[in-house]
Amino acid sequence: MNLLEITLGIMTAVGGFVDISELVFAAQAGSNYGYALIWVFALATIGIMVMSEMSGRIAAVAKQPVFNLIRHRLGLKLGLVTLIASLVSNLITCAAEIGGTAIILHLLTGAPMLLMAVAMLAVLIATIWILPFKWIERAYGLLGLVMIVFAVALVKINPPWGAIAAGFVPQVPPGLSTGGMIRFAYFGVAIISAVMFPYEVYFYSSGGIEEKWGFKDLPINRLTCIVGFALGSLLSISILSGSAQLFAPLHVDPQLPGSAALQAELPMGRTGLVLALLGMLFAVAGAAIETCLANAYSLAQFFGWEWGRHRKPWEAPRFTIAWILLFLLAFAIVATGVDVMRLVEYAVLFSVLVLPLTYLPLLLLASDRHFMRAHRNGMLANGLGWLYFVVIVAAAVAAVPLFLLTSGGQG
Amino acid sequence: MSPRDRIQLVGGLLDLPILDIEGRYCGIVDDVELEEADDELRVKALLVGPGAYRGRLPAWAFNLLCRVAGARITRVPWDAIERVTGAVVLTVSAATCGLHRSEDKARRLIPRGGAM
Repeated sequence: MNLLEITLGIMTAVGGFVDISELVFAAQAGSNYGYALIWVFALATIGIMVMSEMSGRIAAVAKQPVFNLIRHRLGLKLGLVTLIASLVSNLITCAAEIGGTAIILHLLTGAPMLLMAVAMLAVLIATIWILPFKWIERAYGLLGLVMIVFAVALVKINPPWGAIAAGFVPQVPPGLSTGGMIRFAYFGVAIISAVMFPYEVYFYSSGGIEEKWGFKDLPINRLTCIVGFALGSLLSISILSGSAQLFAPLHVDPQLPGSAALQAELPMGRTGLVLALLGMLFAVAGAAIETCLANAYSLAQFFGWEWGRHRKPWEAPRFTIAWILLFLLAFAIVATGVDVMRLVEYAVLFSVLVLPLTYLPLLLLASDRHFMRAHRNGMLANGLGWLYFVVIVAAAVAAVPLFLLTSGGQG
Repeated sequence: MSPRDRIQLVGGLLDLPILDIEGRYCGIVDDVELEEADDELRVKALLVGPGAYRGRLPAWAFNLLCRVAGARITRVPWDAIERVTGAVVLTVSAATCGLHRSEDKARRLIPRGGAM
């Protein structure tokens, strides 16, 4: 594998890291709590690095995508529960991503949102139909790099770097009431869920198999997960910090995905605004494709259908019908006129509930001497893996009460 | 692992994906059929399809699934198996075992062309 391939792989991971939920929760976290939730982003980013690296390693060594493992390790009953829960969670997430792109296109063009959602749906379906897997991943990942405008905008406003650095230390803002503490905890759980969405590992591990990873790809797998995701997470942290610096003093709560783009307009003018909206559009559209394909992968792997976009659409027909129907269903949810922000909230809630069932089989197989041999988890990967398993189980247990107590973070 | 080795049925075989001789996914081991030979139980065939979920799911879930996906069961004889690893690999094509029907039906709905 040459340097260009490695660089492209890392850049794709950076550009593909941010999705609608991270955009919304990063901007809201910054405006509500300053820099106090940066550490949660950092914590969750290490978690997704650990789990994605494992899923990529399993794909390369054991040639097993995640949902094959879930069915084999959890059995039919619990596997089916996980499948249904993840289908619901990914479908809501996909609808939120499509709704998010429609809002951004509406802001860019002024055209009605529903019309923009139809246009986006057509583009997304055409993309998967026409392009092979690698091109799909690369196109949206690289276009999503325009999101770097948020990091540039942050540098331009010259924020208090010391306060941002201090945000990486675990903390709870002083002086919060009980209600405030509960809402802070809700934001923490939502950020963990948004960064560690289960669809990311379904897509990542299936992608490894689509690209026929083998032992030689293990270093690039590790590099992509560590460097690519770390840089991608810095984009989310830039949005959070820009929001803390610009929106918090004005008591502006950026509840719409488009609001975050104002961070780039203030220091960079109209060009910054347009670039920010374009970056968000590509990143969120890429996430819509990932969530939809992740669902089709899950269904196909669970029931043993032929799957993958390395094959022509008619060579994996049930998989093709699945992703087209799932896109249409996600669009139907948006077309009901449901508030996209509510979709984002439900997406993070459902996802955090699915996380333990997704990551447990991964951890078990990654440590399995029989399947993974010399490439099974070492002490560090195992330690971190189980530590994060405890974190996501705690987040899953706390999610529903926190959601109900705060009316989805509203207060 | 060779088909003649001792296999832990649940841990080593049940719910594994099945690949045909061309490396295409063509089902999951949903259940196994056993036979008694020389005072031993041996696997006679793999059972594939929603009909094989009977007894593995609560009755209501099984009935619901059969209404949606049908109750078909396809038997894959044990001598059609080349090896068992992370997947069950067959010595024959999916069509030879009858594991191609649903995929073929779906294929008729998909237009050909336009894809790179």
